[in-house]
Amino acid sequence: MTRASDRMTTAPAPVSAPVLRERRWYPYLLIAPSMIMLVVVSLVPFLYAIYLSFHAAKFGRVTDFIGFDNYAVLLADPRFWNSIGVAATFVVIAVPIEFILGLIGALVLNQNVRGRSLLIPLLFMPTMMAPIVVGLLWKIMLAGSWGFLSYNVLERFNLLEGTSVFASSDYALYALIFVDIWQWTPFMMLAFFAGLQALPLGPYRAAAVDGANPLQMFFHITLPLMTPLLAVIGLLRFIDAFKVFDTIYILTGGGPGISTETPSILANKMTFEFWNIGEASALAVLVWIAFFAFCSIFYQIAKKKLNAF
Amino acid sequence: MAEASSRPEGSRGILWTSVTVVYALIMLFPIYWMATMMVKPNDAMFARPTQFLFAPTLAHFEYVLAQGFHWYLLTSFLLCTVSTALVVIIGTPAAYAFARFEMRAKDDLFLFILGSRMAPPVCLVIPFYLIFAKVGLLDTFLGLTLAYMTFNLSFYIWVLRSFCRDLPVELEEAAALEGWSRPQIFRRVVFPLLRNGIVATAVLCFIFAWNEFLFAFMLGGRAVQTLPVSIPKLITSQGVRWGEMAVVGMTALIPVLIVVFILQRHIVRGLTLGAVKG
Repeated sequence: MTRASDRMTTAPAPVSAPVLRERRWYPYLLIAPSMIMLVVVSLVPFLYAIYLSFHAAKFGRVTDFIGFDNYAVLLADPRFWNSIGVAATFVVIAVPIEFILGLIGALVLNQNVRGRSLLIPLLFMPTMMAPIVVGLLWKIMLAGSWGFLSYNVLERFNLLEGTSVFASSDYALYALIFVDIWQWTPFMMLAFFAGLQALPLGPYRAAAVDGANPLQMFFHITLPLMTPLLAVIGLLRFIDAFKVFDTIYILTGGGPGISTETPSILANKMTFEFWNIGEASALAVLVWIAFFAFCSIFYQIAKKKLNAF
Repeated sequence: MAEASSRPEGSRGILWTSVTVVYALIMLFPIYWMATMMVKPNDAMFARPTQFLFAPTLAHFEYVLAQGFHWYLLTSFLLCTVSTALVVIIGTPAAYAFARFEMRAKDDLFLFILGSRMAPPVCLVIPFYLIFAKVGLLDTFLGLTLAYMTFNLSFYIWVLRSFCRDLPVELEEAAALEGWSRPQIFRRVVFPLLRNGIVATAVLCFIFAWNEFLFAFMLGGRAVQTLPVSIPKLITSQGVRWGEMAVVGMTALIPVLIVVFILQRHIVRGLTLGAVKG
């Protein structure tokens, strides 16, 4: 296991020594197949989406160049702003809860818990399973009148009766947030746990000699040492949470009404239900640019503060 | 941490272990519940109050097999295997090159790779759909294999590069001084050391492809139908076939269950894109 101290204090891994460097075209040859592939499957679709967003394109037929009209229509559409609001609510509630529960869980797991080699894989199950199966699982647990939780908890305590949470415009979004928390807290927990395991022991010994209590150790040693890692993982989850599609698609499909319609769900509906491809592409391009900005922030933090990449 | 290891542990260790075990049992209960749905007759399924004991039935399995779901399983398996193999073949040299050599605009290339990985699939599926419709790749094996490259090839290069960086460069230098050619160095020195990293990363790629839904749903269809895509199809006009969905859902979980036990700490490294070395 790599220690955090090594990772944080040593210089970046040695790039080629002189003997390995003399032929300059060699690395480009090695990356060429992958780069060509990525240009075809990633850059070309992106450029094509930009192209589509500047054209009138409905029902699969691309016609006139119309400049920024698709963007103007989109930005004037209350449904677009609703989707941004839904995604923001989703992320702003779900990610901090996952973060805090994950940190608590990691601290617990870091006490002398036995049988970790059995527990850790099991805890990883929700994160690693197909999102569509996660959706199915919670559809079963919360289904209308007979779901395990909807009958034994929601109905027993008079929280909601006669309908499924996913069909209630007041609660559907919170139910989705709940499912996301179930799915992703283990990831936060185990990533933070890996970080805790890599912390150097020295500062704790020194603090113990000085008579510090565990709480002081946590706030003055653990937390400062963990900050870059917490930031990187938090940001990564933040980026991922914005693009959740599968679970929402199978649980509510954006409904009831538009109460759980995120930009991903909206773009999908615009494309495959309304066949309004120009506007859908405009939405896709905006989302894409936002993601790229988040990515570069993530990259900078991870590279500079964590020396990870 | 020091505080934990420097003190005599006994009762506290047991306390925290039981806290974790209870937490895990609660978290995993929904999976257990879905597993019981596989053999639960419909009347027991919809019973109020919740019925814990029932006479098991194999009816759901029979329906799923009669509907040919094993073909979707086979499609999923083939698709994931082929796309992962392709990723390993073209991605391994790239990951090695990024870890070892100076290149022009390396940072920009990285951002491009990271961007491919992070791009919301829903943004890609629109242009993919139109391009594939034009060139006749809709609902083909090749089309989906290509689509899976966007997230898996970029993921693979990114994570395997972090494994490459852990290898000591001195071995390669020594081999170079011995006069070995570059392909020889890669095959005899780098590859044996990198094998675990390659396997771990490839297995994660397999699982991502296995779990993928949107591309398979929109770009696949009748001819190429994967297991995740077949799940919503059980919401029929005559009602939702819950038991059958549970059977398919649990089948989709089998590889995941195997993989979490095999990979263990490599999962953290993979899911954090190499930022945390599990």
